[in-house]
Amino acid sequence: MKLLKSALLQAIVILAAALVVGFTFNALSRNGINPLKSPAKVPVAADSAQAGAEGIKIVTLDEARQAVESGVPVIDARRKADYDDGHIPKAMLLDYYDMGTYKDKVLARLSNDQTIMVYCSELSCDDSELLAKELYSLGFTKLLLFKGGFAEWSAAGLPVERSAQ
Amino acid sequence: MKIMWSQGAHSPETRPGGGHWIYNPFVLLVLRLVLAAVFVYAAVHKIGRPLAFADEIHTYGVVDYGPPLYVMAIVLPWLELLCGLSLLTGVFIRGSALVLLGLNAMFLAVIAKKTAGFMHIGTPFMKVYFDCGCGFGSTYAWKKLLEDAVYLVIAAALLAAPLHTFTIRFRRRSS
Repeated sequence: MKLLKSALLQAIVILAAALVVGFTFNALSRNGINPLKSPAKVPVAADSAQAGAEGIKIVTLDEARQAVESGVPVIDARRKADYDDGHIPKAMLLDYYDMGTYKDKVLARLSNDQTIMVYCSELSCDDSELLAKELYSLGFTKLLLFKGGFAEWSAAGLPVERSAQ
Repeated sequence: MKIMWSQGAHSPETRPGGGHWIYNPFVLLVLRLVLAAVFVYAAVHKIGRPLAFADEIHTYGVVDYGPPLYVMAIVLPWLELLCGLSLLTGVFIRGSALVLLGLNAMFLAVIAKKTAGFMHIGTPFMKVYFDCGCGFGSTYAWKKLLEDAVYLVIAAALLAAPLHTFTIRFRRRSS
């Protein structure tokens, strides 16, 4: 019983230390997150809505192609290695899991009233959706979400750009 | 206060013996180091990427996006790291063992729940395969369940061991 009591006290000390170190590191880390943030309530634009509508509109391959051709800024939510291997022409890299590295550079090139298209690898990846919600919470409210992602784009034989090595 | 490298000194609250082979000082040391290595490795993989870890926890469908999930994503890797370092150095071994006992019980429960979900849609138990988000990549669920059960038993043995050796102890200098 005495051993268990001492183990419990030690466990409380370890837990308290983990809380302090964890939150301190998070506050100082470039990829730190706001733990009090609630999930963004993002309006999903109706299927019939035109590009430029408020909220996140899920777009098809054809709509994505039209958006790229009309000069809509495109954001690639994948990792740098995937981006370097090939991406939609003129897409900007904003790795969702390394926002600290890319956020300032990419967002400086965008304005809040612009329509922005976001994509990631393929239908099953949800990084583009998570990034779109993050962008919405940052004030970018006109978002196109191309869920087919790079896999659908490249499989359709559409132009692909590679990063200079 | 003085740091002492103890090789068998009995702490006031412990008694030597116990009889079982698992309480052999060298067996306990090996178990400690194995558990320490596993959790330090797992923690290092997760520290610094809380957003990705939050997504990995979210795939279990137990905690939805929101403050509790983000707090877990921030604190859990550090809890694992501190427990690993504690087992490595021998400082607060029993406290770490207790925390790891709780964590592994939780991991077993959520992995079993996710495995049951796969089985519900027709995947045979032995074929259930996914990335548990533990830092070791994708693996068969049965292997992960077995691994976590072994870690659970090791943590329980470390908690119940009557005596730990090869530890750093803090002793007050007698005047």
